[in-house]
Amino acid sequence: MADKAITIRTRKFMTNRLLSRKQFVIDVLHPGKANVSKATLKEKLATMYDVKDSNAIFVFKFRTHFGGGKSTGFGLIYDSVENAKKYEPKYRLIRNGLDKKVEKSRKQMKERKNRAKKLRGVKKSKAGEAAKGGKKK
Amino acid sequence: MKAGLDAVTSKVEVLTEKVKADHFPTADGISYLEAKHLLLLNYCQSLVYYLLRKAKGLSIKGHPVVRSLVEIRLFLEKIRPIDKKLQYQIQKFTRVDTTAAEKIGSSDKEVDATQNMDDLLKLRPNPDMLESKTSAASEDATGVYRPPKFAPASMAEDKISREERNALRKEKQALRQARQSTYVRELMNDLEGRPEEVKEFVGTESRELTEYKEKLEDRARREEDLFTRAPLTKLEKKKMKHMKKSRNGLQGLTESFFDEIKTLPVEDDVGGQITGFENNVDGDRKFKRRKVVQDETHHKNQTAKNEKGAQAYTFWQIWQGKSQNIDGNRHYKGIKSSY
Repeated sequence: MADKAITIRTRKFMTNRLLSRKQFVIDVLHPGKANVSKATLKEKLATMYDVKDSNAIFVFKFRTHFGGGKSTGFGLIYDSVENAKKYEPKYRLIRNGLDKKVEKSRKQMKERKNRAKKLRGVKKSKAGEAAKGGKKK
Repeated sequence: MKAGLDAVTSKVEVLTEKVKADHFPTADGISYLEAKHLLLLNYCQSLVYYLLRKAKGLSIKGHPVVRSLVEIRLFLEKIRPIDKKLQYQIQKFTRVDTTAAEKIGSSDKEVDATQNMDDLLKLRPNPDMLESKTSAASEDATGVYRPPKFAPASMAEDKISREERNALRKEKQALRQARQSTYVRELMNDLEGRPEEVKEFVGTESRELTEYKEKLEDRARREEDLFTRAPLTKLEKKKMKHMKKSRNGLQGLTESFFDEIKTLPVEDDVGGQITGFENNVDGDRKFKRRKVVQDETHHKNQTAKNEKGAQAYTFWQIWQGKSQNIDGNRHYKGIKSSY
């Protein structure tokens, strides 16, 4: 939509040397739209701050103001993707595509736990449980 | 210096021979003070040797003198608490010694003084020495009566009277409300020549809405400061939903100019305490427990099986079913109409 432009302003800019990143508050003005996607925001920030790899930019916790037209959120730009992988929480890495989500079946985990309740000590090895599981079925 | 060194070595040799000949038996152990003395001497010796080596530029690494220094230091630190415990006795002895020395060459006056010191050293509680509060106070040299000082005197200089306190509070509240009212804000904007803000809103904004928005902004400011977000509680979500419901811009219609200025202090009439002006002072507390305080006459009227007949209930009480004596304690719970 080329009718109304999206304006991005950053506030409270701080270079966090301890975590090797730059952190700031982002104000996005988007009159007429509901909100702006994070991908477009990352592109814009990459051009604004001359970031080589847009994978090292993380934007999160966006809230639209009352009445619409303006949203505020937080942004981080890491020095490198390795630093990002070290310091960022897992869910944000998954959102950026730098990590994979491990699908753990809750039912399997609970069954395993309940089986382990009946045993004590070293006997709680996988082989034993799998066999028991097979037996039970 | 060589002569001194020779003298010292000869003396030391004599001593060592004596020790070897068992002249100083330590079978019963040494007294604490002697031991401390020896330790300190040893420490000083080792220190001197250490400094000598350092001054000559020789290496100190792994030399047994360092180890001995550390050991002796450790011992000294360990016996320090014993020192503290014995301090009182040692002080007593040293004081007595000095007073004894004085006694030898002194006049009668001084003897009395030292005897007093001795008595103090005995240090058993002496009830005769206690001063009674009353006796000391009432007798004054010039004959002026001074009351005895039993309790601390409180300085009531900073006490603000009730009227002054109420006036202060009123001022503060007036200031606060003036800041919030839109009329005053427009005035201020005009006076200060601020640029006009055009905010996008539908219809007229109600006061409720502006207050809500201010609260949200305040919250947002704090969140930005801390770089985190506080989660919205259920009540807050409900309120947000309630506010976002579009009422076709008719929210602010029922508010008038009078509503805003009635809270500002125009007349200076009362010196009484300020009460809350809002209808809903406690916010979302729906079922507020009310303490029923009955004075005696009211109580009498209610409990006395009235010979007069029907009591005088107000219309509202009957309608809302609050009274209990209609139809023999039947509560009209369901009928609660808000007018």
